[in-house]
Amino acid sequence: MGTGRAAAILLAKELRLEFRTRELLTGTVIFVLVVIVLFSFAFDPTSADSRRYGPGLLWIAFLFAGSLMLHPSFAREQTNQTLDALRMTPVSPFAILLGKMLANFIFLAIAEAVLVPVFAVLYNVPLGGVAGRLALVLALGTLGLVITGTVFSAVSAHARMRELLLPLLLLPILAPLLIAAVEATAALFAEQPALDPTWLTFLGGFDIVFLTASWLLCDFLLEE
Amino acid sequence: MTHFRFLFAAWMVAWAVFFVYELTISSRLSRLRDEIDRLKQQLGQK
Amino acid sequence: MKRLSISVLAAALIFFAGYAALFVAPDESTMHAIQRVFYVHVALWSAMYTALTIALIANVAWLATRQMKWDWLGVSAVEVGVVSCTGGLATGVLWGKPAWGIWWTWDARLTTAFILWLLYIAYLLLRGLLEDPERRATLSAVFGIFASLDAPLVYVSNRLWRTQHPAPVMFGGDNSYLDPTMAKVLVVCIFAILPVMIFVLVDRYRLERMRHEAEELRLAMEDRTEEANRVVTRSTA
Repeated sequence: MGTGRAAAILLAKELRLEFRTRELLTGTVIFVLVVIVLFSFAFDPTSADSRRYGPGLLWIAFLFAGSLMLHPSFAREQTNQTLDALRMTPVSPFAILLGKMLANFIFLAIAEAVLVPVFAVLYNVPLGGVAGRLALVLALGTLGLVITGTVFSAVSAHARMRELLLPLLLLPILAPLLIAAVEATAALFAEQPALDPTWLTFLGGFDIVFLTASWLLCDFLLEE
Repeated sequence: MTHFRFLFAAWMVAWAVFFVYELTISSRLSRLRDEIDRLKQQLGQK
Repeated sequence: MKRLSISVLAAALIFFAGYAALFVAPDESTMHAIQRVFYVHVALWSAMYTALTIALIANVAWLATRQMKWDWLGVSAVEVGVVSCTGGLATGVLWGKPAWGIWWTWDARLTTAFILWLLYIAYLLLRGLLEDPERRATLSAVFGIFASLDAPLVYVSNRLWRTQHPAPVMFGGDNSYLDPTMAKVLVVCIFAILPVMIFVLVDRYRLERMRHEAEELRLAMEDRTEEANRVVTRSTA
């Protein structure tokens, strides 16, 4: 079975599983909401401040949410050893990984779609003209987040203290992505909103490099 | 010499990181060597 | 005997390098004496890059060959790399305060270097939390390869962006220039620190190999004890 088709089937499975209970999604959304509200206590969100700190705050909230949400990605498989079952099917390891990455991307994207408008309202950040370009930046950043996060979720799945380990592994490696995403978002929140080509290229490059590395190393990730 | 304290501290730190690290390795090495000898003796007897 | 003579050689190299850095190297026009930290600072980072390159090779070699010795080399190289990185950061901080007036700043070079430090500490933590030796070797090798994607970023950070940290003085294009005597002293210092690093690396490798040996012996002990117990219960049954 081709990788693409296998990944699509696995993606459908992941989505079906999650939408049965929606616990991961609701948990993530509520968590990010709490983080956004808590940040407003740390500094007074007048409009000028919001433009400056807003992007950073938004991405940190997504980063935290992502690392919390990614952990169950492989941990779930361990309860009934479903990963072993998957491995025995003629599906390539990359398809398994890709299916999970896409599922995580969709979940996180849904959470972001809910939260960005809320953020805009709470912090008085006008998003009218930049919605499309913001979506692009969000997509590229989130892609990097889920690619790396899914891989490291597989790495930490067998370790002790994996709930703590995943953010510990993930956040340092995502720091360059975070910086690029924040800068690109900040460029869109500015007086003269514009897409910054440097940071966008960086984001795209990050995604491609890490996806390639995942593809090259996927066999080792899903080993016995 | 200006800022001599910092220069001295920096050189000391550079030397110290390797030296202290080497010390920790050496102590662990000798402890392990003792344990291996002990285990080998026990296995030889049993 | 061999160990002693290597230690003496290393000590001599360090002494020679230190003398060169403190007395042979010319005085720098703006920072004067404190600039001499440059020699040990750059030497430490060279040691780190070397160690991390060795680690990357070891990680790939493990995945390719499944020979335990590559895993031992990998963890040893990463640990030595973290030690060198710590030294690099510390000497940088101690240079920054007198030279810039601030202990730290979040420019591209310092930030990426700090992240690299965190990344490889995470590697060591990961290893501590994985129990099965083979799985630990494989997963940490994968993580190690991902982590090494960050190292080139540290190197180019002060070429791509304007940073508080000085721009490159070697291989940096038109604006980079290093006085020839300074360059020679720098080379001496780098060639002094590399043997020290290798010496420590080999020791750490030996430690790892010995740990493996001890673990095998312990398992053999457990098997023997199990055997003995089974014999006892059989004979009493």
